Amino acid sequence: MSEWLENAISRGQKIDDWLNPKRSRALELLSTTKWPTRKTEAWRYTPLRAIQSTKATQLEVVSELTPLAIADLSAIELVFKNGKLDKSALSDTLPTGLTVSLGSELAAQQQLQAIADFSEVKPDRHLFGLVNDALAQDVVIVNVEAGVKVEQPLRISSLLSQGAESHTRVQVSLGEGAELAVIEDVQAEGETLNTAFVEYFVSPKAHLEHYRFALQTGTNVSVGGCHFNMLDHSTMHSTIVAFGSDLSRLDTDIIHSGEFVDAKLNAIYLLDNNELFDLHATVEHAMPNGTTEENVRCIVGGRAKAVFNGRIHIHRDAQKTLAELNNRNLLVSKTAEINTKPELEIYADDVRCAHGATSAEVDKQALYYLQTRGINRAQANVILNFGFINELIDLMPNKVLAEWIRPIIRARFSAMKVN
Amino acid sequence: MTVQVEIDEALGREYEAGFISDIESETFEPGLDESVITRISKMKNEPEWMLEWRLGAFREWLKMEEPDWALVDYPKIDFQAISYYSAPKSMKDKPKSLDEVDPELLRTYEKLGIPLIEQQMLAGIAVDAVFDSVSVVTTFREKLQEAGVIFCPISEAIVEYPELVKKYLGSVVGRKDNYYSALNCAVFTDGSFVYIPKGTRCPMELSTYFRINEQNTGQFERTLIIADEGSHVSYLEGCTAPQRDENQLHAAVVELIALDNAEIKYSTVQNWYPGDENGKGGIYNFVTKRGICHTKAKISWTQVETGSAVTWKYPSCILKGDDSVGEFYSVALTRGRQQADTGTKMIHLGKNTKSTIITKGISAGRSNNSYRGLVKMAATADGARNFTECDSLLIGDKCGAHTFPYIESRNPSAIVEHEATTSKVSDEQMFLCRQRGLDPEKAVSMIVNGFCKEVFKELPMEFAVEASKLLEISLEGSVG
Amino acid sequence: MSDNKSLLTIKDVYASIEEKQIIKGFNLDIKPGEVHAIMGPNGAGKSTMGYVLSGREGYEVNSGTITFNGKDLLEMEIEERAAAGLFLAFQYPVEIPGVSNLEFLKASVDAIREANGEEPITSSELLKQAKEACKQVDLPLAFLKRGVNEGFSGGEKKRNELMQMLLLKPKLCILDETDSGLDIDALQMVAAGVNSQRSPERSFIVVTHYQRLLDYIKPDFVHVLADGKIVKSGDASLALELESQGYAWLETHKDEDNIEG
Repeated sequence: MSEWLENAISRGQKIDDWLNPKRSRALELLSTTKWPTRKTEAWRYTPLRAIQSTKATQLEVVSELTPLAIADLSAIELVFKNGKLDKSALSDTLPTGLTVSLGSELAAQQQLQAIADFSEVKPDRHLFGLVNDALAQDVVIVNVEAGVKVEQPLRISSLLSQGAESHTRVQVSLGEGAELAVIEDVQAEGETLNTAFVEYFVSPKAHLEHYRFALQTGTNVSVGGCHFNMLDHSTMHSTIVAFGSDLSRLDTDIIHSGEFVDAKLNAIYLLDNNELFDLHATVEHAMPNGTTEENVRCIVGGRAKAVFNGRIHIHRDAQKTLAELNNRNLLVSKTAEINTKPELEIYADDVRCAHGATSAEVDKQALYYLQTRGINRAQANVILNFGFINELIDLMPNKVLAEWIRPIIRARFSAMKVN
Repeated sequence: MTVQVEIDEALGREYEAGFISDIESETFEPGLDESVITRISKMKNEPEWMLEWRLGAFREWLKMEEPDWALVDYPKIDFQAISYYSAPKSMKDKPKSLDEVDPELLRTYEKLGIPLIEQQMLAGIAVDAVFDSVSVVTTFREKLQEAGVIFCPISEAIVEYPELVKKYLGSVVGRKDNYYSALNCAVFTDGSFVYIPKGTRCPMELSTYFRINEQNTGQFERTLIIADEGSHVSYLEGCTAPQRDENQLHAAVVELIALDNAEIKYSTVQNWYPGDENGKGGIYNFVTKRGICHTKAKISWTQVETGSAVTWKYPSCILKGDDSVGEFYSVALTRGRQQADTGTKMIHLGKNTKSTIITKGISAGRSNNSYRGLVKMAATADGARNFTECDSLLIGDKCGAHTFPYIESRNPSAIVEHEATTSKVSDEQMFLCRQRGLDPEKAVSMIVNGFCKEVFKELPMEFAVEASKLLEISLEGSVG
Repeated sequence: MSDNKSLLTIKDVYASIEEKQIIKGFNLDIKPGEVHAIMGPNGAGKSTMGYVLSGREGYEVNSGTITFNGKDLLEMEIEERAAAGLFLAFQYPVEIPGVSNLEFLKASVDAIREANGEEPITSSELLKQAKEACKQVDLPLAFLKRGVNEGFSGGEKKRNELMQMLLLKPKLCILDETDSGLDIDALQMVAAGVNSQRSPERSFIVVTHYQRLLDYIKPDFVHVLADGKIVKSGDASLALELESQGYAWLETHKDEDNIEG
């Protein structure tokens, strides 16, 4: 076991609060967990050196940072500063039907429910999910009542100042037929470490629109997860936009626990310098008649390393499933690296499943076409590369967010070292 | 009767090669240590360096752990309960001609459809027949020698052509490569050796037929094929074993070396005993096959896998030379409780190297069938290309079909394309076939054959027919 | 024969793709303002000539010379040829998802303006021109926001090509089977677009398999291309002759034509 993990466990053991039942379970699981190496399949391409050497620690000081401004966005703000919820940032008047509370402050009965839900969606196999179980200081509980359509998106920002370590935990429940958009983002300054896990409980016929922006770069270490439990006829549309950092890893689990669930996940990542980003996206089709569509596109330059693992698991009972995964990668530098592994594991016969993965340069025909219109090769390359990403930005349901992120991605791409 | 029941019935057909030959054998006591390895080496009259090589591998093997990443599940193998050498007594004093070979041995091969008597032999195919731990006979050797082609048991090659063996044995699959290959290096008993001289097109197809007969023995064969510059060879491999309730281990290593401009085509029809419907018995087929391509060379693997209880096999190509080509065509059919985890690795090192992977997995019964593959584009592989297509067909709702492709690219000018799909034999297809008068078995076998066509067309003619028939037999009783 | 006033002079060009000889001694001279039709059977090399002129990768000129506007065309990059005023309207324009038509047009117009020492176009001016061009080729304005050719029908792709031509104002337009797959209304519309662009400074090469298009775009010259070279040239009446006789006569006249050179 690593020194870092031992230290985390011993810190977890010192905490004594309402989450004890789940924490002790996590600690027990952690005590028998082997520290991942190259031979650990889930970490095959993602070394954990950065986490072992980080100097980030849990700080008492509150971060001075403020959430990144998103022009024209009017959101309900949920702000974590160095791991603690900043209650002052939360609006006093929330839309009817939406409640936001801290697990520690709930009435006993509700607290029992919160404990029962805790780690129900997030699978135990995520090592740092267990770390988060053990070290999360509290749980933010978001609840949307049945039939309520919340107009404003809920934004969960995690702000970390230099040297900070943070373990944030959120549980979001959508009642039957409810609708909510959630934006998760991180802002980190210098050497920081955060594990941010959010569990979503989506009731029948509810609709979740989800965004996770992992735009932190540099010496930040982030390991987090988004886990979605989907019931009958519920729908979700998730967009992930990521740059890399010393270590940036995200695990998503979409679980079709009900029938006729429709799930879409689009992920974009643009990596440069020495950055690493690793997305492990798992879809569990446990029930029949579900559909899943995933599009993952990445551009890797500099000496960066992109890792993708896209697993679609069709259980025995999940007949009439439609599942598709498309993963396209562009390498733009001779020192960059792409590692991708789309997986299908299928135990039902009446299903339509497919995945495709490519790693290539831009389409030569398209390049020629642009050149015949007078655009030089280098610029044509930039246009085509950006177009490749832009397609997914166009699919973002929230146009305010799309117009905010588009120039950010464009600027990052323009600054990328292409050779 | 539902179509599913019909398919199930069609798949239940018996294993035709399941008979046991009554042959008196000399078999080592079960167990494995350095003295067993020394005895094997002595039996084969090997030079000292070969024994040292084996012992080195054994010591490495002791330090290694059995791999557990494949999607297969079987009880832990007790390596001390296996006998590592078994040979018909009649083979002790090497028979000098076919007349001296035990007629029961010849009958065994005849029953398997491989007549070894020259008059009856398939014209144009030279056969090396390996029975348990020894090569019984190698046909057409003189004719091949005229062309300068060496085709003989590897045990003989170690004695007769030590320089070639020393240079190439273990050069593609190193002794420490993996758990089973290390074991093979330590205890291999026989297999085939092929050398095709510069610029020579081998005048006939070469083939090796592996038969496990004796109980409680493992078969550890070793094949080494060297195609010198500008040469060409097509090699076929077939395998069967009797129907027994115990599992038997088959851990082979095959190494191919294609020097500049050479071409090796390696085809396998693997029909080891798969165990019964309930998963009792059957062969554990843990095989390491790998080839290296030098400049402009080509290696093409084609496999039809219908047998074995558990298959763990990834015929691979190291595309070292510029403009070299690697191909992998595979049909894997699993039924009953069979488990197959098979695929390939294409390691692109040279410039403008090309690889193609086409796989067809068919799962029926309660079986699990996985494709596992790696396509690696090294930083040096400018302009390299890979195209991969993995299709799975599920017959029934109790089986599994899985795809695990790994893609690693470090070169911006390299292109990798991977596609995978899953489908079933649809009711509409079945209805159409039956409306046109085909019974369900015929209909399924026709649809499955169509599904596999892309791979079958890569097989040499005789094998293509055999493979198609084998598929039909294996499919009998599996209709839905 | 060519003189100083020629816009394009192709002299005895041999060209190949992957070592297969496709163009075998091609000669053509085009003066400003002229419309040349190139006709011929499938496989004659009609499209190849467009690719050779635009400089497509893999199309190798083995011998011969091509002069465009006084410069050696073969020495120029693809985009330099475009900047010099050469425009190829593709038979099968490629789809570029994610790159909007408008963004693409701006990049293209600016690149060509820059090459000619002009300032970039303002976005509003470009939008104005693009809207006009769309109107002229009857392409809904919404297409400006869509990905280049993405999900366009065959006819829409052809109109999109024409729309680009209107904006880029080239000196030489090569229309590669722009009529293929179009119904009669679309054909007339395409022809009207081309005709509106005819001027003493602008020349056209109209590559087509059928005479039909030439009912609407009147050529000054018609050339018959067979087996990689021009085997017969004439005025507009040659097209009608081809229409009535088909291309079969080329076979019977082959030797004769060869003798004539």
